[in-house]
This record gives sequence, C-alpha cells and structure tokens, in this order.
Amino acid sequence: MREIMRVNMSDLSIKMEAVPDKWARYGGRALTSAIVFDEVPATADAMGPDNKLVFAPGFLGGTNAPNGGRLSVGAKSPLTGGLKESNSGGQAANAFGKMGLAAVIVEGVPADASAAYMLVIDPDKSAKLERVDAWKGMGNYAVADAIKAMRPEGDRYATITNGPAGEMGLKASGIAMSDMKGYPNRFAGRGGLGAVMGTKGLKAIVVSDKGLPMREHADKEAFQAAMKVFANALTTHPVSGQGLPTYGTNVLANIINEAGGYPTRNFSDGRFEGVEGISGEKQREMTLERGGNVKHGCHTGCVIQCSRYWNDKDGNYVTKGPEYESAWALGADCGISDLDVVGVLDRMCGDYGLDTIEMGATLGVYMDSGAIAFGDGDAAIATLKETVTGSELGRAIGDGAEATGIKYGVAHIPVVKHQALPAYDPRPIQGIGVTYATSTQGADHTAGYAITANVLAVGGSVDPLKPEGQAALSQGLQIATGMLDSMGFCIFVAFPVLDMPEAFGAIVDMMSAHTGDTWDADALMAVGKEALTYERLFNQHAGFTAADDRLPAFFTEVPLPPHNVVFTVTDAELDSVFDFVDETAKGLGIS
Amino acid sequence: MMVVDVALFASLASFQPDGLPGRHSRPIEFPDGFLISQVIEMLALPDEPRVIFVNGRHAEERSALRDGDRLAIFPPVGGG
Repeated sequence: MREIMRVNMSDLSIKMEAVPDKWARYGGRALTSAIVFDEVPATADAMGPDNKLVFAPGFLGGTNAPNGGRLSVGAKSPLTGGLKESNSGGQAANAFGKMGLAAVIVEGVPADASAAYMLVIDPDKSAKLERVDAWKGMGNYAVADAIKAMRPEGDRYATITNGPAGEMGLKASGIAMSDMKGYPNRFAGRGGLGAVMGTKGLKAIVVSDKGLPMREHADKEAFQAAMKVFANALTTHPVSGQGLPTYGTNVLANIINEAGGYPTRNFSDGRFEGVEGISGEKQREMTLERGGNVKHGCHTGCVIQCSRYWNDKDGNYVTKGPEYESAWALGADCGISDLDVVGVLDRMCGDYGLDTIEMGATLGVYMDSGAIAFGDGDAAIATLKETVTGSELGRAIGDGAEATGIKYGVAHIPVVKHQALPAYDPRPIQGIGVTYATSTQGADHTAGYAITANVLAVGGSVDPLKPEGQAALSQGLQIATGMLDSMGFCIFVAFPVLDMPEAFGAIVDMMSAHTGDTWDADALMAVGKEALTYERLFNQHAGFTAADDRLPAFFTEVPLPPHNVVFTVTDAELDSVFDFVDETAKGLGIS
Repeated sequence: MMVVDVALFASLASFQPDGLPGRHSRPIEFPDGFLISQVIEMLALPDEPRVIFVNGRHAEERSALRDGDRLAIFPPVGGG
C-alpha cells in the first residue's frame, strides 16, 4: 500500500496517511499538483506558512520500469506565482518508491526561524527531524559530505538538499538530489522551490533504502515482457539509443544553432559563432581527454545513460554534464564559448542551489544592460558569486531574469509567467513558443517539447518557421508530458514513444501489469490531462488570465537573424491549447 | 560546377572528404544541380536516418543544391 508522509515543520510532527482513493492512479506530477491544488490556497504567499512542498516519485517509481525513476517536486512557485512541478533525476525517487512512499508533504514553518532541520527517513518509513543549525549557509556539496560523515558504514541512501540560495529566499533557487555516486548534482531547478524549502527550515532530507527490494507487480511476468519491449525501444531508437548516450544532451547545440534558433546574447541572434566551443561533440572530446565519465544514468533504472561528469584541466570532478540547457544558458546566451567557464558557473549554480537556465538567462540580461560585457567569463563568475553574499546586485541576480532586467533597465526580458525562456528561440521554432507561452509552469521547454517535430524530425514534422499546426502539436505534447511526469518517466522516453507505437503500448502494458487494473491509452492520457487541469485551475485562482499566456512583445515584433522572423502564432490559437480543461475539471468535480 | 559549404555533425563528422576532424564546414565543388542524395552517396554516409538542413531550413534528400548553399547533415539527435 502506498502512503503519504506528512511532515509539519510548525509542531515538528510526522504522520503517515493512506493515499486517498481519488489519487489511486496518481504519482509524480499528477500527485504533487493534485495535493498542492487541494491543500494550498492559490492566493497563499509562496514563501509563507500556507505553502507546502511536496515530493513524489512517479507512479512506477521504485519498480524496475526502465527510465522510471524521476522525482516530482511541487509547491506554489515563488518565481511564477503559479503551481509548480519541478522534475528531477537522482536517486530519491527510487528510494521513496521502494519504501512505498507516494509522497512526502512538508508543511508549516518552524517557530524558531533560525533553526535548520534534516529529515531522516529510514527504510521502514520511520522518520525523524534533527537539528543541523551548523549547516546553515553551507553549499550542497559540503552538506552532502556532512551527511556522508554521519551515515553508518555500508548505508545506501539518497539526499535532497537545499543550498544557500534557497535559504536566502532567492527566487531562482532549486533543490538538489544526489545521483548514483552521491554527488548533489541533479536538480528540481526551476521555479524557486529552494526558497520554499528554505522557509520551511529544511536543509536536507536523507532517505535510506538499504536492503529494500524493488516494488512488486500484480503480474510479474507480464510486467517483465512489457519492460523488455520498452527497454528495447529505448535502446534501438537512434536518439535515445545512440545520440544521447554518446554525446549527452548537449548534442543539441549544433542542430539548434543550424536551425537558427540557438538564443545568443540575450536572445538577440539565432546563431552563435562560438557554438563549436560549447557543443556536445567538443564536450565529449574534452571530457574524454580529462578522464571524465561520458556515459551514465542519472538514476537507477536508466537505460539511456545521457549523464556525464565534467572534469577540470587536472582531471578533477567539477560538475555534471553540463547539460544542453546549462551550456547554452551559461554559454551562448552570455556570449561565452569556453566550456571551462561554463563548467565553473555550472558548479557554482549546483553548489549554491541555483537554476542554471534562470541564471544564464539572468546573466545574459545583465550583460545586455551594459553592466558587464557579453563574453566576459570572469565578470560572469564574479557576478554569480554575488548571489550568496546578500549584496543588492546578488539579490537581483538571484531572483532571476525579470528582477534583474527591471532593476537594470533592460528592454528585452525573456520570461513568461516570470520564468526565463530556455534554449530555443520561439521565433524560428514556433512550436516551442506555444509551449513557453501557455505552459502552466512558465517558460519551460520540457512542458511540451515541440523541438521534436519542429527540428529533430521525431514524432512527425511540423515546419518550425510557420504558425500552422503548432498549437495542436504543443497541446498533444503537454498532455503526454503530464502523463510521463506522473508515471515517473524521464521525458527522453518520448523520442521512441513518439516514433514507435510498441513503446507507447509497453507503457500501457506496464501499468496494467503493475497494478492489476486495466489501463489503456485513454486512461494514461487522462492522468496527463488531470495533472494539467489542477495546475491550470490553480493558476486561474491565483489570478492568471489569457494575458499571462503570451510571449514578451519583442518576440512578436523584433525579427531574429538569420531567418529574420517573428513569432506569429495567433492569440486565439494560444488560447485553444487548454480547451480540454473545463471538461476534465467537470469530470474531477473541481472548478 | 558549384561550391557548397558542407558541415557534418556528431558521428558523421569523420565522413568529411579531407579526413580531418572538426565540425567546421568545408567548401566542396559539385556539378551544377547536384542533389543532396548524390552528396550523401559521394560522402559515403552510413545508410541511417539523418536530419538535413540547407541554409538553416529542413531539406529533403531529393532536393537540388545551388551555388553558395550551406548543407548541414546530422544523425538523429535529441536532448533538452
């Protein structure tokens, strides 16, 4: 039986509850979004006592489902003001899943605002809160070391930690999950959830799954059969089977640049002359030269293996990846073409607990103000260091691109719902623009990854330069992503799922075999629609309107080289993306 | 004859006719009206799916190239 752990930071109590029947088919994003919708007033102060921070493994978390170990972290976002689901790799989801924890809800705020706590959860689901006041202000890597020093020999555990950025309430702060080697380098990065964890006085969560077996299935043989079909699809599709494991996510740099949609120097160009220096191919060559690892999974059960470790010139571990989005944000968007500079910035973000996408976009905006020059890596590093000093500059930078752009008088601030745009310009790649504009999450590429059909020729083909078909493409992807995020799948399973019918069928079969219930395509997609419906309604209650589902005006007014195009999807089409919400809400009995 | 800038990426980079490493584009001479499929054949690219751009726009293998075009060919890639 799956259970929910409720941790109250006001009275320091920890209680276990059964998962209510209405959420019996939910895990991951559907569950975190349903809980936040149900329990957090939409008008609550995101950094106040009424907000809640919810951790949930996907429905298949803790099973042997390939690439099924992603973690959803939900709350009202201090950055967007809407319902946030920030999705992360790392080991925590697997540990939660194996012990039968469907969710951990952290609520209330401690009476003593100066206190810092660590929540320790043992394999039998017993849990306790320990004072760790001495850890306040420590970076994620130091906290990971401090936890390691406290754990018994031979323990097996995952960590969830909050860096100084989150403790300081910075709106670009994220929450770090440990990977298979214990490095705190996988992130629920987006939306300022570190600031929510900070207000709860929670510095760390340790989850020990020592000795716990994988979760059982209602029909083990049927699950094994479906699992084999799914794993085979992941390893034979050329993107998930070859491109990603060989080059990592940053293999995208050259193709997005070629398509003219690689945002350069604060979204002022679609091509970066320095792309070669920060490309995935170059990264692989340098990583191999330095003895870094170029192929591992970010969580137990990953068969795609797109993670890698970046080493410095002396062969010492610096950080993970860097991933495509991080290399773009801290590279091209700042006019920086040096992977060593990107690696240092990425490590700082990881240690402080800052979202690399938001920080790169923010530094790009700051450079656009003229305060420091595009391409000046030393100045970028010095500026990022300010974020954890409490200086006025550091507070603006740490609150993200919009806060920085307003403070420093920048005309082009690339945000939607206060969250910075990721690594694809929506002018020459219009499908992703629809996702940025309409997503409940603010500008978020993962919410409906239209790059597939727009650029990569995966899941069909939709001309990226034209508005036709983009709204329908984004809608389908947003619903499918809501489903994958709820099951706990890495979104890269979408590459084979979009191209190979047997891969989608295998998900249906795994769900049926795991639960013993009958699942079909409609039942799966219903979970995706319901997750989005909770988020959409919450955002409406929080005051969001159609005007919030728009890109900043410069994307529709200022042509982007080299194609010299603007975003032309109409408002009416943008407003059609969530046309399923009313009916879904009616079915759920919510409004 | 015409000159086309040819760039090959990821696992295809080693198929440049000069045999040198790197993803930078090379100007290569082809007969006028040469098709992308003929370039692919000439370069002996592996018989696998690929994504092709001419001047930053998707192109079909049956399309003819023109003098001054930039041709970029990728194996299937993804990330994000």
